[in-house]
Amino acid sequence: MNMVTQEYLRELLRRYMEGEGTQEELKLLKGYFNSASDLPVDLVPYAQMFAIIDEETTVPSVEALNRFSEKQAPAPRRHIPLWPLLAAACIAAFAFIILTPPKQKDDMAIAYVDGKMLNDKALAMQMGQEALQEIFSNGNEEQQLTDLFNAK
Amino acid sequence: MLFGIILYATAQEGLQINEAFEGKVIDKQCMQESLVKGENLKPYKLEMLHTIKFAAGSKDRAKLNALFTKDMEERISDDDSNMEYESRDGYIYYAIVQLTDNKKGRHRYICYQCKENSSHYDITLVYMEGTASLADLRKTFKKK
Repeated sequence: MNMVTQEYLRELLRRYMEGEGTQEELKLLKGYFNSASDLPVDLVPYAQMFAIIDEETTVPSVEALNRFSEKQAPAPRRHIPLWPLLAAACIAAFAFIILTPPKQKDDMAIAYVDGKMLNDKALAMQMGQEALQEIFSNGNEEQQLTDLFNAK
Repeated sequence: MLFGIILYATAQEGLQINEAFEGKVIDKQCMQESLVKGENLKPYKLEMLHTIKFAAGSKDRAKLNALFTKDMEERISDDDSNMEYESRDGYIYYAIVQLTDNKKGRHRYICYQCKENSSHYDITLVYMEGTASLADLRKTFKKK
C-alpha cells in the first residue's frame, strides 16, 4: 500500500468520483483506506466513505452485470414457418376425405327399364315384388300346367 | 348415385350369375332391372333385392343355365327348407336356392325362372339378402 503515492491515490479518487474508475482501482482504493493509519485530513472523509461502501453488499462486477443483462435480454425469437403445418393439415384433411369410404345409402330403390334409370321407388318395388311372386308361385301346380300348356 | 349403383351391383359379387346382372350375357339396354335396398324391404325381412328380367335366345339361355347351376354348388343343402328346384330336359325351369351366408344371420338367395315362349325364353333372375327364411319368403310371395 505504501507503494501508492499520494499523487496516484488522488488520481484514482478523481477517476472514481467521476465514474471512470475500474473494479481494480476501486479494490486498490478500498485496500488503501482500510489499512491507512496516517491519512491527510482531506482524505479522511474518503476513508469513511470507503468503510461504509465496504459494509454494504459487494458491488457486482462488470462481468457479472454483463452476464445478468445477457440473461435478462429477451431470447431471440425463433421463426417457425407456418406453411409446413398448413400443408400437413391440408394433406391430412384431403387424405381423410379420400380414404373415408362413402357412407352407404340405407335406402335405395331404382328401376331400369330398357337401359333407362328411373328413380321411381314404387316402380322398383313393384318390379321386385312381381319377380318374386312369379318365381315363388312356380310351385303352384295349376300355374305350372298353364305354363306348360302355353309353351310351344 | 352411380357409386351407389356400383356398390349394390357388386353385392352378388363372386357368383357366376353376376355376369348376367352386369349385362355381360344380355345387354342391359334389353332388360328390366330393379334394385331395392333398406327400409322399403323391411316388411319382407330383406335388406337387398336385385332383379333382372329379359328375353333370351337358346344360346344365352344355355349360358345362364350353366352359370346358375354353377352357383347352386354354394347352396346350403338340397333340403326343401333351403331349396326349390325344377328342371326339364337338363334345363332349369325355376329354382330358389339359399346360399351359404357370407355374414352371420344374413341369408342369401338366388332365384331363377325360365319361361318358354314361341320365339324366345323369358328369364327372371333374382338375388336377395336378408334375415328372412325361405319359409318366410314363400309365405310372403307365393300366390294362393
